Amino acid sequence: MAEKKRRMDWGYLGSLALSVCLALLVGAVIMWAAGYNPGKAYGELLRGATGCSSVGEFFTSVFTKRQFGNTLEYTMVLCMTGLACALGARVGIFNVGGEGQLYLGAIVSAYIGVLLSGCSAWLVIPAAALGAMAVGGFYAWVPGVLKVKLKVNEVITTIMLNSIAIYFCAYLSTGPWKTTQTNRVSGTETLAANLQFTRLIKGSSLTTAILAAAVVALLVWYVMSKTTTGYEMKMTGQNRRFAFFSGLKVDTITIAAMTVSGAMCGLVGMFEVYGLKGSYQDGISNEFYFDGLLVAMIMRYNPVGIIGMSILFAVLRIGASGMELNAGVPGELYRIIQSVIIFFMAAESGISAAVGARRARRKASREAKARLEECSRG
Amino acid sequence: MQEPVVRFEHISMQFPGVLANDDVSLEVRKGEIFALVGENGAGKSTLMNVLYGIHTPTGGSLTIKGKKMQHFSPKNAIDLGVGMVHQHFMLVPSFTVAENIVLSREPRRGGLLYDRKAARQKTEALSREYGLKVDPDAVVREIGVGLQQRVEILKTLYRGADILILDEPTAVLTPQETEELFDILRRMVREKGMTVILITHKLGEVVSVSDRVGVMRQGRLVSLEETKNVTERSLAAKMVGRNVLHDPFLKESQAGEVRIRAEKLSVLDNRGLPAVKELSLEVRAGEVVGIAAVEGNGQSELIEAITGMRPMSGGNVEICGTSIRGMSPGRIRRLGLAHVPEDRLSTGVNPQGTISENLIMGKHRSREFTRLGFHVNKGALERYVGKIFSRFDVRAAGLDTTVGSLSGGNVQKVVIAREFSFDTPVLVISQPTRGVDIGAIEFIHQHIMDKRAQGCAILLCSADLDEVFRLSDRIVTMYEGRITGSFPAEKITKEEIGYYMTGARSEEGTSHG
Repeated sequence: MAEKKRRMDWGYLGSLALSVCLALLVGAVIMWAAGYNPGKAYGELLRGATGCSSVGEFFTSVFTKRQFGNTLEYTMVLCMTGLACALGARVGIFNVGGEGQLYLGAIVSAYIGVLLSGCSAWLVIPAAALGAMAVGGFYAWVPGVLKVKLKVNEVITTIMLNSIAIYFCAYLSTGPWKTTQTNRVSGTETLAANLQFTRLIKGSSLTTAILAAAVVALLVWYVMSKTTTGYEMKMTGQNRRFAFFSGLKVDTITIAAMTVSGAMCGLVGMFEVYGLKGSYQDGISNEFYFDGLLVAMIMRYNPVGIIGMSILFAVLRIGASGMELNAGVPGELYRIIQSVIIFFMAAESGISAAVGARRARRKASREAKARLEECSRG
Repeated sequence: MQEPVVRFEHISMQFPGVLANDDVSLEVRKGEIFALVGENGAGKSTLMNVLYGIHTPTGGSLTIKGKKMQHFSPKNAIDLGVGMVHQHFMLVPSFTVAENIVLSREPRRGGLLYDRKAARQKTEALSREYGLKVDPDAVVREIGVGLQQRVEILKTLYRGADILILDEPTAVLTPQETEELFDILRRMVREKGMTVILITHKLGEVVSVSDRVGVMRQGRLVSLEETKNVTERSLAAKMVGRNVLHDPFLKESQAGEVRIRAEKLSVLDNRGLPAVKELSLEVRAGEVVGIAAVEGNGQSELIEAITGMRPMSGGNVEICGTSIRGMSPGRIRRLGLAHVPEDRLSTGVNPQGTISENLIMGKHRSREFTRLGFHVNKGALERYVGKIFSRFDVRAAGLDTTVGSLSGGNVQKVVIAREFSFDTPVLVISQPTRGVDIGAIEFIHQHIMDKRAQGCAILLCSADLDEVFRLSDRIVTMYEGRITGSFPAEKITKEEIGYYMTGARSEEGTSHG
């Protein structure tokens, strides 16, 4: 039989690397056609992402560079949102509502910080994190329950809940929870300095939040790949009927995964407020969740792969502004490269499926022939 | 009359995990009505899909009108005059009869515009020529199924078909419409020299309309005869019975206490119609109760209700003395039930998962295989899985092999290995050997009899009468959701069972305990 071993999928990694190279090549061709120097542009992109102009500089002083800090910070965001998406996908539910969960987590954590201002950071930070996770989790729990109990398509509900959350936050930040500072049209009160995360690289957006994120990412990876819970999630996602038949509580598992996914998004919102911005502001997430979702989809919801791909996407996105500034190439090129990678990866599944089917057919035909010969001999 | 218009030579069709056609050689002659009969899953539709070019066979060759097929596609088949009327009609409901008939080969005016008038004329001409009366301007949505079927037939004739395949054509027809259809088919064969291939499992029709009949079972053509030499009874025996290769097991009754008790159980099917109607049944420790029924008589729904896969709509079921009303399959399992389901790939396994992952399911939370209650103890797990893997003789490269890539027999061994290793007092087994090769059948049967010897209460449901007879202490016949008879296996013959299975006889009012 066409037996398939499941190990590290080198073929997939290979085609992924090829896709990335091809996408960079396409980007280069576009730049060249538009009259830019692709070599210079990519050089500036790397410089924009790392803050280093040479390999030597990279090894000696990259950890002091503002740009590198920004890249790491965005890697963290992509990683968290990507893993949140993967959690749902693993059990067969697709959370597209991370953006809304992130906004709610951000504003609730910001408001908790305002309410508890004056208290010790040891009280406020955990309270804000819990609050953000609770509201994000609840906001994912609702579509999860609707999906499981009433078979309402979660993609539609979560997308629509995004807009509701974002506009609700806009209302809160311009209305009841608006700062008293007169020079700002929206946003919550700025948090006391002792509540804000410490910057790890001066001038960059990298804060101690990345340590918390690393712990969360590690935990998600561990649960997904090493525990009975992860096993049950995988079985539920791959064959729900089999999981139900075998006695798993598939509904509970699905809702729980969705809720945790939302809680993670809420936590990212809290990180943005306590790390980067110091208060809730409109537009606190610039489609962070959708970027993470793309990363997760490209890596087929593999936790380790998501971490790796997050770095690449963060380099592209953060580096794009450096490229725009110093080589004059519009930063939107980053979107083009991103789309082309996705395009090639989508084609990859189609092509490898076709190749696989062809191989299987040939093999089956060989076997049938062998069988016939055996029959005619016997 | 004797010239073969279609010749299948050693056709094999291997789907992942299923050998749907196994070395089928068959000739269909010009100008005959050929009937192909067999149970669901016997491979008759697959064979016809090969003829119609939908499937490319994995072995053997097909010759149509002396031309050996190289590329299998419906287009090539249609060009050679093959037409197929599917069980589910493929018509555009909002189009008129004429529009449906000419669809994809519309007469055109000036090579561009659809010529409505020509379409009508062609439809009327065809309709007259073959005696298939239709109104070309009627909208398909508004005409009955009998007429829709005529439109389907006309559609194939319009495309020049003279080899007509009809897949279960009478399933949706009333007896009168069926008679009419058969008249038309006879006339088409007699007057136009067409060839008709009829796929069906209604044996009465076969005997009344066909010239020759082929019987398929488990992908093989097991019988090919002139219809005048067969009876409904002899066909039925060939359809369901496997040649008894195995000796029956010597069984001594050892039945103990009641472990499965169904009382006035009612269950709905997927469409919400009653599939099981106030059925009562008991299965005792140490006995095998076999359900004999023609497919679609409620046995699947019965099994699903007992195992919690489908809610009951009335009555009650007790497993080991506890009512399972409203329980999930997981809770019923904890009462001591294991289940080998009918559809192994969609329910019995996770085809994307490895053999390990599939074998450990249900035991994965046990203390043996975990640390601290959540961390998977990979070493212990692999040792255990390796043990049952070899005990049940699963043929695969290793424990990391995905189950979806195994053959049907090996997938079934994975299911049986897992479910039997729970050592439950109750076992519900559905179609244990469907699509499984002969070697594995013997093996699976032996394991079932071992379970019986250990005092397990076993409810067995199989489309294979031989299997039911071989394994069961008691045989219960079901017809239209009700039990029509209950017999000690040694006190009844297959022929008699047949009457109860088709509802011709029934033991109304007896207690089926």
